[in-house]
Amino acid sequence: MYNRNVNHPKNSRRTATVVALGLAAAALLSACSSSSSTATTTTTTSPGGTLSASNAAFIAADLKAPGGSLEASGSTFVQPFFNAAFYKYTGLNQALQINYQGVGSGAGITAFENGSVPFAASDVPMAASDLAKVPASSGPVIQIPDILGGVAVAYNLPGVSARIKLDGPTLAGIFDGTIKTWNASQITALNPGVSLPSHTITPEVRADSSGTTYIFTDYLTSASPTTWTLGASKTIAWPASAVQTPKNSGVAASILSSPYSIGYVELSYAIQNKMSYAAVKNAAGNYVVPSLNTVAADADQKTSVSPTDFSIVNQPGATSYPISGYSWAILLQKQTSATTGAQVVKVLDWTTHTGGGQDLATGLDYVALPPAVQNQNRTQLLTVTGPTGQTLLTK
Amino acid sequence: MTTVEAPVPRQAGRGRRWSLPDKGYRGMLAVTAVVFGALAVWFLVSVTIQAEPAFSTLGFGWIFGGTWNPSHGQYGLLPFILGTLESTAIAVVLAFPIGLGTAVALAFLVPSRVRPILSTTVELLAAVPSVVYGLWGLIVLAPVFRSTVEPFLTSALGWTGLFNGPDNGPSLLLAGVILFIMILPTMVAISRDVLIVVPNEQVEGARALGATRWQVLRKVVLPGARTGILGAFTLATGRALGETVAVAMVIGNSPYIAHSLNSSAATIPSLIVNNFGESTGTELSALFGAGLVLLLIGILVNSAARWLVWSTGHEGAGVEVGR
Amino acid sequence: MTALLESPADPSVERRRAVREAAASTLRRRKLGSQVALGVCWLFLAIAVVPLIAVVYYVILKGLPAWSVDFFTHSTTPEGVPGGGAWNAIVGTVVITVIGTAVAVPVGLLCGLFLAESQGRAASALRFTADVMTGIPSITVGIFGYIAIVRNYHYSGLAGSFAVGFIMLPVIIRAGETAFRGVPRSLNEAAMALGARRATIARKVVVPTALPGVITGVLLAVARGLGETAPLLLTIFGNQYLEWNPTKPMAALPTLIYSYSGQPYADLVQIAWGAALLLVVVVLVLSIGSRLLAAYLRKEHR
Repeated sequence: MYNRNVNHPKNSRRTATVVALGLAAAALLSACSSSSSTATTTTTTSPGGTLSASNAAFIAADLKAPGGSLEASGSTFVQPFFNAAFYKYTGLNQALQINYQGVGSGAGITAFENGSVPFAASDVPMAASDLAKVPASSGPVIQIPDILGGVAVAYNLPGVSARIKLDGPTLAGIFDGTIKTWNASQITALNPGVSLPSHTITPEVRADSSGTTYIFTDYLTSASPTTWTLGASKTIAWPASAVQTPKNSGVAASILSSPYSIGYVELSYAIQNKMSYAAVKNAAGNYVVPSLNTVAADADQKTSVSPTDFSIVNQPGATSYPISGYSWAILLQKQTSATTGAQVVKVLDWTTHTGGGQDLATGLDYVALPPAVQNQNRTQLLTVTGPTGQTLLTK
Repeated sequence: MTTVEAPVPRQAGRGRRWSLPDKGYRGMLAVTAVVFGALAVWFLVSVTIQAEPAFSTLGFGWIFGGTWNPSHGQYGLLPFILGTLESTAIAVVLAFPIGLGTAVALAFLVPSRVRPILSTTVELLAAVPSVVYGLWGLIVLAPVFRSTVEPFLTSALGWTGLFNGPDNGPSLLLAGVILFIMILPTMVAISRDVLIVVPNEQVEGARALGATRWQVLRKVVLPGARTGILGAFTLATGRALGETVAVAMVIGNSPYIAHSLNSSAATIPSLIVNNFGESTGTELSALFGAGLVLLLIGILVNSAARWLVWSTGHEGAGVEVGR
Repeated sequence: MTALLESPADPSVERRRAVREAAASTLRRRKLGSQVALGVCWLFLAIAVVPLIAVVYYVILKGLPAWSVDFFTHSTTPEGVPGGGAWNAIVGTVVITVIGTAVAVPVGLLCGLFLAESQGRAASALRFTADVMTGIPSITVGIFGYIAIVRNYHYSGLAGSFAVGFIMLPVIIRAGETAFRGVPRSLNEAAMALGARRATIARKVVVPTALPGVITGVLLAVARGLGETAPLLLTIFGNQYLEWNPTKPMAALPTLIYSYSGQPYADLVQIAWGAALLLVVVVLVLSIGSRLLAAYLRKEHR
């Protein structure tokens, strides 16, 4: 009934963590592992850290947050995940309701700056200019990753059944308009044996400002620094040949109804709409198909992310899918209301950890946070204080 | 219709329902008019305040620039102004005759039994939410346009130079047609209502003179309904100028000036809706400035329509009804 | 025969004969012209009906599968939780639209009446303002609603009603004025000759006569108000849960459609189409109902 990819074992991350515990010491010393493995448990090869032992206690305590209701807004990308997680949370703690609306990362940040919402979600962390708009009296802003996602390069090529392989420079050429036809030499060179038509390529991109655009262009900048000149940003000055449509769903619909088009969409859209998507060359030189596992492999390579160093595109690792990125939750470190503050930190702690919201990720085609990142989140949330300086996140 | 009573002096109230005295009645109407006026002023002031920073920082010339690229400090609105005018023009050029013709058919040609059914049917088009029009346009109409309509138009009308661009789906033409469908019910429903109320005596008189049905329409009914049709036209045009979501989905959102009806373009409303959520500072003010520019366009279009009706209004034999 | 009847030097009789002869000689051409022109009108009617059938068919095709008991009785649930529906959005739409209509219709009709009866410069300016206001993009109205209400108050159904009412008001004013102007002057003058006050004339003559046009205008405005997305996006915030209180954030059908049609999951997309179908059906019901009402009221006044 539901159009889900049911082949992903729900507890793959738990399995990976248990196995990784045994190799913890050695794994932590090396930057990345070199062995490859079979599809379903690739996360064990590049361990994303191990979950702290006190996780279960914190999760249980999170469900004892004070009753009431919270509003939050921001990224549309995380909306399905947040809605599912908060719904489940309220099922377990019926006193607290959380109303999250995906109004857009920027609108969420603006609402947060105005104090309209106690926490916001954004695909790209607040930049220095945004942080400057938060009144100094409010104190520092904490930003933590809440979920992981990948960006697929989806295309519509009638008559071609093989999966297309593309790399950074070729993608850069397609999306800046320099590579104009499907049978251009750069593309045929990467796809020997595939007969490509001579049709013009129609690039399909976002009309509205978007975190997905940011991750995609961040990858292009990283993988093709000399030829990609349009920068990494939520809004890009695309060439005139590009068709711009609002929202991931708009781009997906546009690709599906336009033969010979190619564009970028969040992985969940590519999977759910059964689109054709490309295998992209990663830093290790392998052509990797985007999947929940390959995105996780990429994230596991760099778990020490922070709001000022948040890019995880193009990471090393044999099975890493290079176009991946986190989405971020934003809150104030100094909460002015003990009740609201306790609600916010406990809900966010529950949502960003295994045993809580992260368990819902795979079923919705998101990728759960690596354990190391989860641990970092908890460390951050433990610094949140209430009006009298008390720590709000308790076991 | 109303029973004729013997004239009763105004002050005698016995046995009659009380009615507001004239002054109170006029006063009440005037109050609502003032409320409406105040609302309009409040809107104008709010938007102007928000737009002001863009004008004070950038002057006025930025509006006419040809590129919108906020990261380079360019806020040119010309592509969007042209896109708005062109897509609205297509919609109106189609909706005015087709809408009026349909209204004529509904008012005079279809049997009176069938009229409510067909009228309701056309009005249903007004019920469809704009996002659904956008989706339908993108999923159903765009492929049809790309595979059939636009190649046909390019071969048939290519000499006009209007269809020279590459065609990759979303286009000005598609947006214009979607807008046409969206404004059609307004044009039809209001025109139909004004056509119906033309007094029978005038129609019968003309028929008695030997005029054909069409002549009656042209010379008596349509001139008589002229202001009403102008009202319908105005409402329809207003809707087309301001339509946001549906257009954003089918027009391609290209921030460059479109050189052909087949190319992607953008309108001011689509610019605002695509960028509003994420923009701040000067860019946000510029978006409000774009809103003011659109208001100005609306004023110009409405003035032109009024002038057109006024200047052609002194021909025709019909006597205007009501006013 | 005519030589016997006409008096020798009457120019009007001459004129009448000239007209008759001109009419007779051009009859065939005029008739043909008439048939062509009227045929074109029929053709246009057919053209107008085609997109309707296409669009409504598509909405039914995609939306009907979503209609179930759950759809109408359960609030929205996230992807992965079965049994979700659109009940909270239905409630929200009804509350928001009822409040918006309850304010916009009386104000709009009274304004329309004012404009229909006045000739002054102020009235002209107001009429022009209403015309221009119909052209304001719905997103700008939404932004105005955000600035005017949400920033000073908070996200709420009332802010949504304000924005929707703002969109409906100029439509009602202009359509109402057009309908009121359609009342023949003779009726007005007859009533005045009987000594009726202007308020009485308005109530007993103008409004009943103009009622069909007024109802069309109100219906068009309400249909637009029901389906407008952008004004609501920025004002009501949305709500995962059922909320009857308009001072709180609420859900609504257009924003549900906008949000769910943008999701990757097929079942949520289906709910979006189900909501779209519901809106179309609601307007159909309102349309039929208002016609019946107009017919009933007209009979009452005879």
